This record gives sequence, structure tokens and C-alpha cells, in this order.
Amino acid sequence: MSSDALTLAPAPRSEAAEQVRAEVREFLAAELAAGSFSTHVDTWLSGVDPDFSRKLGERGWLGMTWPKEYGGHERTAMERYAVTEELLAAGAPVAAHWIADRQSGPNLLRYGTEKQRQEILPRIAAGECFFVIGMSEPDSGSDLASIRTKASRDANGDWLVTGAKVWTSNAHHSHYGIVLVRTSPADPANRHAGLSQLLVDLSLPGIAINPIRILDGGHHFNEVVFDDVVVPGDMLLGEEGAGWHQVTAELAFERSGPERFLSTYPLLAEFGRRAASTGDAAQLAALGRLSARLLALRQLSLRIAAALDRGELPNIAAALVKDVGTTFEADVVDEVRRVVDVPASLDSPDPLGRALAEAQLHAPGYTLRGGTNEILRGIVARGLGLR
Amino acid sequence: MSDQDLVVETVRDILAGHEPLLLDAEQQWDAGLWTALAEAGLTGVGIAEEAGGSGGELADAVAIVRTLAAGAGAVPVAEQLLVAAPAVVAADLDLPAPEEPLTFAVADAVTAEPSDDGDGPGRWTLSGTATDVPWAGVARHVAVLAAAPAGIEGSVLALVDATGLTTTRAVNLAGEPRGSLVLDGVPASGALLRPEQAAHLRARYALARSVQLAAALEQVLAWTVQYAGERQQFGRPLAKFQAIQMELAEMAGEVTAVTAIVDAAVQGLERGSPELPLLAAAAKVRAGAAVEVVARLAHQVHGAIGFTQEYRLHHLTRRCWSWRDEAGNEATWSRFLGAGVLADGPDGLWGTLTRLG
Repeated sequence: MSSDALTLAPAPRSEAAEQVRAEVREFLAAELAAGSFSTHVDTWLSGVDPDFSRKLGERGWLGMTWPKEYGGHERTAMERYAVTEELLAAGAPVAAHWIADRQSGPNLLRYGTEKQRQEILPRIAAGECFFVIGMSEPDSGSDLASIRTKASRDANGDWLVTGAKVWTSNAHHSHYGIVLVRTSPADPANRHAGLSQLLVDLSLPGIAINPIRILDGGHHFNEVVFDDVVVPGDMLLGEEGAGWHQVTAELAFERSGPERFLSTYPLLAEFGRRAASTGDAAQLAALGRLSARLLALRQLSLRIAAALDRGELPNIAAALVKDVGTTFEADVVDEVRRVVDVPASLDSPDPLGRALAEAQLHAPGYTLRGGTNEILRGIVARGLGLR
Repeated sequence: MSDQDLVVETVRDILAGHEPLLLDAEQQWDAGLWTALAEAGLTGVGIAEEAGGSGGELADAVAIVRTLAAGAGAVPVAEQLLVAAPAVVAADLDLPAPEEPLTFAVADAVTAEPSDDGDGPGRWTLSGTATDVPWAGVARHVAVLAAAPAGIEGSVLALVDATGLTTTRAVNLAGEPRGSLVLDGVPASGALLRPEQAAHLRARYALARSVQLAAALEQVLAWTVQYAGERQQFGRPLAKFQAIQMELAEMAGEVTAVTAIVDAAVQGLERGSPELPLLAAAAKVRAGAAVEVVARLAHQVHGAIGFTQEYRLHHLTRRCWSWRDEAGNEATWSRFLGAGVLADGPDGLWGTLTRLG
């Protein structure tokens, strides 16, 4: 098999990462004790708290790997990994800044103009500027190249944008979107050509942000409609026509982090407390099975962080880890249910019942967002040399 | 080329002359393969020269075991290099010559009583029957982990010369010998192990099987990818069908996860981590779970030819089905791991998981 694309070298142990991990852990314990947040499942989608994001920014835990001249902290991906992992495990409210810190910032760093970087990156690193992903559309999900949102230059050199983006998480709390648009007509011979990315200020006239509620009634998703929105000409991100290439690079960041196996960790933690109190053999065995899977996923995710530190962009390995990891996230619910008889309800007096409810109602999303597992397996199949 | 690559190359060269055997009562192991490995000094790798081994690192021994597992070599190398020989050396017992196969048995039903047979200290008399002994009837020596005398904490590691012992033949799903040894009043040199030392040794055994599983699963995936690329149906290779691609990608996910956790557990062993039992448990549980998916899909993709003795696939899938049962299966190790990750209390799960690596 052509396994090089799939296998990554084991991650070296990082003392610096363990040190910052301890600092984050201490901070989170203090915040929890002070009641500044409460633990929930899947908080990187649903836990919006700009104050909390600002606190992280003040401590230097956003934009960690970026150059200092842009407000970053020039730390390693391994250190950033430890910080994000601790935040997720605690179920902390990190959704406000999550996209900006994870992928929009790195995207700007790679492709942005000097002006764009100077203006925006320090604000992201401070926890004061939030982003949405503008990829999917009502008629374009997995087939991203089929998007129809259009941008054309007007006489002033500005962009005139028309179309709609969906599943834009937390657009109603965000300042900017990186929007994938068609800048030249679709070419059936080269479907990936003619796409570009625009940096769009979401407060511009002509933008409507309409809520789309998910299964638990929560408002995270939106439809963002662009009705002849005038986007300044200097807000093109990267190269005109290179949108597909840029979006692929962005997806490597989107797919590779610990949020792809830790979304339901707060449920696992609650289940661990239950197993500890009952000592039930079946529950301990289920906890052992889930722990074995999680430990393997951590190793894989750490390897990706180490690869990022080596300057690699491991697209295929990231797709594989996301496939295995998000399957695990949903399986946590099923495994726990098999060994505890606690009805899932958001109103449950039992914290395990509430965690089960949150995890179950969010479960359909785990294996869809950031590329469906079917799409990911297609990428892995390419890595295996099958296509 | 690193030393380790060189070792792997040497094992591969030797394996090339030894097709996997169909094991049966007449042919219980690959004696020729063993002799070739022993003559090349490979059956003492990872054991210090002053202890009677051929030197080298644990990583070299692991590489040898992996290569032999992927090649379905019917020899007790995993038992000798990764479990029995290191345990014998650690217990200050005299290591038999590495050219003579040495295996390992967890024998909770065998009791060791101290004896004074005039042969000096560290002499024990064993009684009971050791079951599920890998390579029983083949291995010249057995490192037996027996129960300590009543009232004494821990276990006894005893080195038994198997010559002349009554052996009941039994085999695992791949035909590898897993018989019983009747140890009625058998004298042996041995050492008392503290409970944590015995736990460490059981973990080593589980890790040895996990290393073999990881290598075998990788090879099964590689064979399946290759077969899917060659086998034509409906005018194109199986590999071009999306349904098959999904299956192969799922297999790849499982295999990659197993490799990652097994590597982490091996690193734990290398650095002498006190957490080795939990790491080995995680490796064994994860590898065992992966066998379900990988072996099932490998056979599904191979179709009927993979269901025959004439085709190579069974050499590894049957071993995988057995190795996941041996040295403790997922039921045993998942309970152990579940209890272990809670050792720091109900709120200590995350701290323990991240400490494990």
C-alpha cells in the first residue's frame, strides 16, 4: 500500500506542551470554581462566550503558533494542541473564537495581504475577532466545487457578491467570514477552476443572517444571504481563481485537531464518574474500551500536531483521523447507553442524563461537519492508491 | 540504513525462503525458519550480551517480531524476545542459550513451593497444569508465571526445562501449539516477583501479542488493497468501486489507530513507564477491536478465494482471531483499563488519560 500519506512518525514528547497544559488546567479549575462557565458537550460549536475567549487571548492561548508581529506567540503546534485539548476536555465555552483561531487565522497568515494580516490577526489572537466558514450552500454540501455564490468586479474594482451560505456556525456572533465564491463561470472541464476566497465583513449592507436551529433547539447555524453586497476590492484572500487550492489547505487545519474526537468527552468524563461510583464491571469494561479508542486517537492527533510543526500539511492523515475520531464521538453515546439505564434528557436531574441528551442531539453533526466521513474515506482511498 | 532497518532486511531475507506453513500435528512449527533466525543471532536480539543475548535494543526486537508476524512465521520469537527472555534476565535467572526456543506461560493454576533440593537458593517445586501454553511441545524451555505459595504476595517466575514433560496437544485457530504442560512436582529455578512485577510481565505478554497484531493487521490491509487492485469484475478492478473504497478506508483507519497505540505502548516499555500495564491494556483492547473490522472486511473484499487454504490470507486472519484472545482478550483488559483510568478517583480520568501519553 502507498501508506506514506497515511502514516506519520510518532510525536516526540514535548515538555513545553506539558507545561502549558498544566497552566491551562489550573486556569480552567479556577474558572469552573468561580462559576464563569459550566461544562457542556460539543462546546466548540455551541459554547459562545466572548468574555471567555478574551481571557484566553490575554493569556496568550490564541494565535499561539503565529509570528509575534501579528499578535501571535510563536509557540509549537504541540503546545497549541495541549491548550485546545484541555479546553475541549473541560467542555469550556470556546466556540466564539474557535474557527478564527483554528483555520481563518492560519489561512490569512498563508494567503492574506500584509494589510489584512496586520488588521485582523492581532484581534483574533486577542480573542476579539471571530470568523465563520463560508463554504457550504443550500445546493452544495459535499460537492463543494458546485457552489453558486458569485462575485464579480464592478467598475471601482470592488466585488459584487450574490448568493447564500449555510451551516455558518455562529455567524450571528462573528465579525468576518471567509467566503468561497465563484469569480469566473463554471468550466465543466475543470470544476475546481474559477473559485476564489473573499474576506467579508459581516456588517456590510446587503448581508442577512438568518438562524437555522439544530435538533436541541440551539441557534448556532445560520443561513447567510448576500444580496448584491459590495465587498472592497482589497478583500480578496490570496489569488483570484486559487480558491479551491486555498480551501483544501484550510481544510487540513479544519480536520486535524482534537475537537474531532473530544466533542463528547464531557459525556465520557461524566460516565467515568458513574462507573467509579458503581464499580460495575460492565461499565468499567465499556470505559476501558472507550479509553483504548481515545488513547489511540490522541496518539494519531499528536502525530498530526508534530507533522504541522515540521511544516507538513498532512491532508490525508487528517482525513483518516477525522473519520475514526468523529465515529468515536458518536459511539460514546451508544456505548454508555448500553451499560447505564439513565434516560437522556436536557431536563434530567442526573448530569449523566443531561450529557447523554446533549451528545445525542448533537451526534448527527459529528460525522458531517468539516467533510462527511464518506468524503473523508474517499480521500483515504486516494491515499491508499485506489483512485 | 539504520541498524533496525538492517535487522528487518535480514529477517525479510530469511522469511523469503520460508513460505508460511499450514500447521498440523506433524508440522507444529517452522523449525527451519527458527534455525535460520537462530544462526543469524536474531533469537537473542534485545538481550544484553553479558546475559547471553546478542545485544541490540528493544526496538530491534520489536522490529523482528513485527516482521515475522507480518510474514506469519511459525516460531516462538515474540514469546522469547519480548516476554520470556527479558523476564528471565530481569529475575536474575540463567538464560538458556537463545538458539533453544524459550516460551512463556501464565499459569495461575500452577503453584510454586520453595524447595531445598541441595541445588542452592531460588529452587522451587511446581505443581499443577499450565494451560494455553504457546508453543507447548515445541519450546525447549518455559518461563512459567506461577502462583506464589499460600500466604505470600506476588507470583513466582520459574524457568522450566520442558524436556520429558507430559504435554497435551491443543492448537489455536491458526494451528499454532497452545497445549498444556503437566507440572507435577517439577523442580525449577525461579524467583519471587512482587505483584507489580508480575503485572508488568502480564502486560509485556499482552503487548507482545499487540505488536504481532499491529503488524499482521497492516499486512492484511496491504494484501487487501493489492488484491482489490488486481481482481477485475464488471470490467474494472474492485478498487474502483466506491463501496470497496469505503471498506478499505475503514480498514486503514483501524490499522492506523492500532499502530499508533501499540507504538505508544512500546515507547512506554522502552522508557520503563510505571503505566505500562495500562498502555499495554489499551493496545491489546484496541488491536482486538480492530481485528473484528479488518479481518471481516479483508475476507469480504477477497471473496471466496480468501476463504480457502490455498490462498495466503488465512495465515494472518486466523492468527489475528487467535492473538486477540491470547494474553487476555478485550473483556479482561478493558475491565482492567477501565478500573485503571479511574485510579485517581472519579474526577481523575482526564489526568490519567493524558499522563498515559
